[in-house]
Amino acid sequence: MKLLLKFDFTKVCNAVLEQRLEAHQLKYQQTAFGEIELLDKVSEEKLDLFYNDINDFGIDVVKDPKKIVIQKIKDVIVDMVFNEKDINVKTSVYLAEQLNENYSYLSNLFSEVTYTSIENFIILQKIEYTKILLTKEELSLTEIAFKLNYSSVAHLSRQFKNTTGITPSAFQRIIAKRKQIN
Amino acid sequence: MNSDYINLALADDDEDDRLFFTEAFEELKVKSKVSLFKDGIELMDYLDDSNNAIPNLLFLDLNMPKKSGLECLKEIKASQRFKDMAIAIYSTSASEEDIENTFVIGANVYIKKPNDFEKLKKVLSEVVTTNWQYHTSGLNKENFLLRL
Amino acid sequence: MPTPSSRYLRTAFVAGLFVILCIGGYTYQHISELSKASEVVKDNYSLRSELELVISNLKDAEIGHRGFLLTHDSLFLTPYEESLQKISNNLEKLDTLIVPNSKQVDKLKDLNSDIQKRFENFSKSFARVNDSEVLTKDLLYLLHEGEIQMDTIRSDISEMLDLEQRLLVQNQEISQGKIGLTPLLFYGLLIVTLVILLLAYIKMTTDLKALKESNTELEIFEKLTKQSEIVSNTSTWVWYIEEDEFEFSDNLYRLLGEEPQSFEPTLINFYKFVHEEDLTNLGHRVNLMMKEGELPFTSFRVVHKDGTIKHLKAYSKLMDETDGEKKIFGVTVDATNEVENYRIIEQRNQELERTNKELSAFNYVASHDLQEPLRKIQTFMSRLEAKEKDRISESGQIYIQRMKSASARMRMLIEDLLQYSRTNTSEKEYLKTNMNLLLEHAKTELIDSIEEKRAKIICDDLPTMEVISFQIQQLFINIISNSLKYSKEDVPPIIEITHEEVLSRNVKQIQNSLYKYHHKITFKDNGIGFEQPYAEKIFLLFNRLHGKSEYSGTGIGLAICKKIVENHKGVIIAEGEPNKGATFIIYLPFLK
Repeated sequence: MKLLLKFDFTKVCNAVLEQRLEAHQLKYQQTAFGEIELLDKVSEEKLDLFYNDINDFGIDVVKDPKKIVIQKIKDVIVDMVFNEKDINVKTSVYLAEQLNENYSYLSNLFSEVTYTSIENFIILQKIEYTKILLTKEELSLTEIAFKLNYSSVAHLSRQFKNTTGITPSAFQRIIAKRKQIN
Repeated sequence: MNSDYINLALADDDEDDRLFFTEAFEELKVKSKVSLFKDGIELMDYLDDSNNAIPNLLFLDLNMPKKSGLECLKEIKASQRFKDMAIAIYSTSASEEDIENTFVIGANVYIKKPNDFEKLKKVLSEVVTTNWQYHTSGLNKENFLLRL
Repeated sequence: MPTPSSRYLRTAFVAGLFVILCIGGYTYQHISELSKASEVVKDNYSLRSELELVISNLKDAEIGHRGFLLTHDSLFLTPYEESLQKISNNLEKLDTLIVPNSKQVDKLKDLNSDIQKRFENFSKSFARVNDSEVLTKDLLYLLHEGEIQMDTIRSDISEMLDLEQRLLVQNQEISQGKIGLTPLLFYGLLIVTLVILLLAYIKMTTDLKALKESNTELEIFEKLTKQSEIVSNTSTWVWYIEEDEFEFSDNLYRLLGEEPQSFEPTLINFYKFVHEEDLTNLGHRVNLMMKEGELPFTSFRVVHKDGTIKHLKAYSKLMDETDGEKKIFGVTVDATNEVENYRIIEQRNQELERTNKELSAFNYVASHDLQEPLRKIQTFMSRLEAKEKDRISESGQIYIQRMKSASARMRMLIEDLLQYSRTNTSEKEYLKTNMNLLLEHAKTELIDSIEEKRAKIICDDLPTMEVISFQIQQLFINIISNSLKYSKEDVPPIIEITHEEVLSRNVKQIQNSLYKYHHKITFKDNGIGFEQPYAEKIFLLFNRLHGKSEYSGTGIGLAICKKIVENHKGVIIAEGEPNKGATFIIYLPFLK
């Protein structure tokens, strides 16, 4: 039997994190996605044990402060795109508000560390979300363009092609053929 | 993922292409470790040895003596061990149908070898960063398709 | 199985027979009844006459009696005696004639006794006779009494007559009633029989007519068959299984190179013509046919007396006729031309396959092996330019630029050429495709130059068509990019795409098409156009109307368009007017 799964990554991650924290008997408070505050004082040894444990689940504790900011930017963008947040302001303003930092600082930092711009990252995430909607939800490109606030289908189609090198319909075709083979 | 460099592999029978490839990564800012293979057999021998680390990203030429890129691709896709390894086809032009077919079989990226070194650098950098995004941002690898 | 018409005739015959039998039965019954009735009448009349005779004899007796009384002459006694005798005979007869157990019996008894009394009276009167006296008192009395007795007898007889009359009438009434219906019944039955016979007659004549017609048709058909056998090089034969006899059509002899019916049609005689290499197989097949009653398509060769070899093909099937006779009907065809044509086609196919293989091999060489060194030259050149720029003299740098553009052009040529040969060989899978979608894809492919030139593409709603989608998309890309390339420098290009369905015979270029309808897709631009005389030239491979320096291009794009349209059995036409624009019209056939 074959099952097609669709993940809510936020939920999955939080569930894993919660389980591990409880396994290590750590008292905590979640301050944001991918950010927790340990409420008690914990020894270095115990912390190392915890770090190693969560590492097995693909979770890293970010120590570099720059990387912490980058991760936050990414989290905000992913949350914004995948949860279809209704944002009235420009993304740059929204990001600055959310992270309480100057946008040009964020933008420079992002490019420096990730070799790509925030704008590109947003486009990438939108296209990823489009891919999911195309294959899992089987929405039409028109519906998706409307959902993701694109000015036109052509615009989304063009952005998709520019980002992936493939047209949306070719993408759909390839995924469908892959499923047939498996 | 914890390592600071990205582990890359290239299987290409063409010496010049291997040269361009390594030189391009030398000039790119991305920290990388590149393993080179002259043909499909050499590549598969390396991959099948469990002592060797599995590359994050494999660049595969389609036209190789002894074992073609397509054969390698099929073998790799048949094994669960390599499910986290992204595969980029690195080849001269092919027909639309052939390109689509490599994606269907399981390639993530199709790169048409550029005829300009700067373009090559740009393309390789894009592949690496996109691959990086898929690893770090929890994106669905199933949907990782890129054509350059 | 009897035909409906023969069944009908049989029914009519049986019905007619039945009716006639009925009539016979009825007739017999009625005639016997009639004769019985006339018997009764005859008896009746005999009775009457007998009664009359009684009276007349009585009268005779009386006359004799009276004569004797008057004359005493014994001469008168003779008739008297005779009458006496007659009367007693009469009475005896009457006794046999009257219907027993009827009133008449009583009456007869009365009559008898009355006559008896009369004779007693006669006897008494004879006794009183004496010669002296003519009439004595006694005698007178007796005479008187005799007179009264006579009256009684008369009345007896008249009563009997009356009764008999009544009986007669009664009898007549009864038989009248019985016989009265008979003519009507006869008539009715006769009419029915006549109708049945008439219907049977009509049926028979129509059947006969149809039979005659089908006979003529059969004759015509037979003649036609003979002719068509000759024309189409076929022949027929019948094998009567039980008698083990064959019947060959004339043309079978001709197929064997012989005169019609020139030898006895037997299997052995036929085998004499079969090529020795095919004899075993054919014999085996025929044996199988004898067992299973069917000969599947079997090919074999025959050798004519003059040595000509012909390829024949035979097929037969068992027909179980209703008459119970088992026959095998067979057809033998001269397949010599077919076999030879097939051989030629096969040869051509092999040639074609070889050329196709060569072509795809060339394709591969062009795509991979030729591109590979060129790409490296270009890459190394880009390395040289980047790394060694400072060390190369100015003229050296110009050379590098020239080399770069030359190799770029070579790349373009190789790629276009490759695409051209791919339109020849790529998989030809026709699928129902929404043309709007293909146009959309084409536009996506060209989005950069469309935006760069600020081009406007206006398009009708296009239909869904059965096409090779990759190729049609390429066609759209090539036509649109052609329009974009040859646009006027200062005017943003406008490309109008329109669609309509046309009747093939209304359009000159496609009026001889096998398809009744065509899609007409028109691409009209406002570019630099061209002179109409060049309209056909622009579709030729490597043909260019402009110098290389003016407009880049290889002269392959439109040749690819023509190839693609021809792959789809369509026609592409170009119309141009310098400085006004070009129009490309594509006709693609479809079944409606």
